[in-house]
Amino acid sequence: MPNVQKFFSRLRWPDYLIVAVLIVFFGYIWFSIEGTLNYKWRWELIPSYIIGWHSGREEYFANLLLQGLMATIRISIYASILALILGTILGVARCSANLTVRMLARTYLEFLRNIPPVVVVFIFFFFLSQQLIDALNLARWSRGIARQEDIWLWKFFFGDMRRFPSLISGVIVLALFESAFVGEIVRAGIQSIPKGQREAARSIGMSRTQELRYIVLPQAMRKVVPPMANQFITLIKDSSIISLISVQELTYKTVELVASSRMIFEAWITTATFYFIVCFGLSRLFARLEKGTKSR
Amino acid sequence: MKLPKKLMGMALAATAALGLAVPASAQDQSVIETIKQDGVIRIGLSLFVPWSMRNKNGDLIGYELDVGRKLAEDMGVEVEFTPTAWDGIIPALVSGNFDVIISGMSYTPQRNLTVNFSNPYAFTGLAILANKDMTAGMSLEDMNSPDVTFAARRGATPAVVIAEKFPKAKLLLFDEDGASTQEVLNGNAHATMASQPTPNREVGRNPDVLTVIEAPLFDPRGEGFVMRKGDPDALNYFNNWIAQQWRTGWLEERHNYWFATEDWADQVAQ
Repeated sequence: MPNVQKFFSRLRWPDYLIVAVLIVFFGYIWFSIEGTLNYKWRWELIPSYIIGWHSGREEYFANLLLQGLMATIRISIYASILALILGTILGVARCSANLTVRMLARTYLEFLRNIPPVVVVFIFFFFLSQQLIDALNLARWSRGIARQEDIWLWKFFFGDMRRFPSLISGVIVLALFESAFVGEIVRAGIQSIPKGQREAARSIGMSRTQELRYIVLPQAMRKVVPPMANQFITLIKDSSIISLISVQELTYKTVELVASSRMIFEAWITTATFYFIVCFGLSRLFARLEKGTKSR
Repeated sequence: MKLPKKLMGMALAATAALGLAVPASAQDQSVIETIKQDGVIRIGLSLFVPWSMRNKNGDLIGYELDVGRKLAEDMGVEVEFTPTAWDGIIPALVSGNFDVIISGMSYTPQRNLTVNFSNPYAFTGLAILANKDMTAGMSLEDMNSPDVTFAARRGATPAVVIAEKFPKAKLLLFDEDGASTQEVLNGNAHATMASQPTPNREVGRNPDVLTVIEAPLFDPRGEGFVMRKGDPDALNYFNNWIAQQWRTGWLEERHNYWFATEDWADQVAQ
């Protein structure tokens, strides 16, 4: 309580004025929306679309929105691991001594940076991940697992196994897309390592690979943790794009809910809140971790 | 020496890009054989009340689902429904994501250039769902004016029909039908067009604001199963199945249940 009192005692009259203006402003917007919008709010239905009571199985279950949220989290985790691996390779390639390698990495990056994400997603999906899934016959394999009994471990990691190919293509598309930006971060990290470090490594007889492996990358990776964390949060938000290729994540499930129940605003506001909670929570967590490493 | 090396890098990149872009060769085998081999029929659909929708348990229900499940049962295989965004449903079929689209897709000459349609398993026509106050006293001709705004789902048949029948009117495009209806409710658009019985059901829900304009159904059409081209076996199988279900009256009975009654309404949060 003393904290709250302290907080209020610090406020001066302009602060109160600003708060009052904001309240009036948002109140006015809300009022005009309510006046012109012919809409029946049905917020009471939303909780049952997060955790619902299954009338057939007689048990609580994760309904559309929670299923979508879990899928988004799964996809984001797998995609960021893959993007980190690909991005590191790309970042190293960007600093390579070989011109061809450098140019290839640069071409990839410039393509992704200068084409809208939606287009990139479609191109990667139809030309790349789709082909890969067909070539590996993933659809048949995952259906085989889906038909087995007792597959809770698979379900925990990948959700509905019948949707596994679409999950994988979502992960691949997202990872390929984000790897370009992760690659740029890694490159910046590598280039921030003073030349002296590299020269010292070479002078004690390390090969280029050893120099990268033992001297440059460990330092570079530590330096790029904050921007990398930021990129991870961006990736979670970007994951909504893959709803376009019908990956059953949060945004797609919301579209389905809206199509079935017409709760346009309730559903989208809830989804926005989910994204906000996840992204904001992570950014606070990363900020705290960063503080921790600094004070050490 | 610098330039050729640079050029070679570029050439390499270009070849790599091209190599990735070559699509896999299409399957020669009939989709019916694939279905038998895998023991599963994969059906693509896009959610659209009352064709297909999520009930309160998050499960798929609707006319399409009844048709798909019965079809799979008669074939003696499992059924796998793949909900897909409407925009991408034909590319997804062509690239082999599923075996057939059963999603209330009506025949159009343009679509038929890319994919094959079976005989109709449902018939619908479009009606105009209008804002009562805004269109009071208007005739159909009056609605073809720059002062009138229509709303419709992007890429769907109503959008095309509106542009054709009401060329002077403004047309707002949205990604799903809920948004177009909402615009009419809000008074931002005069009217939208949708397959019956959706307009009648919307009027039932908002009798004070909405009305269905009296007119013969626009663009009456049949909806068929949609499959990849060059597969006479599949076309034959589905056509015969549909013909048989019409003869036994099963399709008509199911169609009536979903389109003429509201018995299913309490399963969905509407």
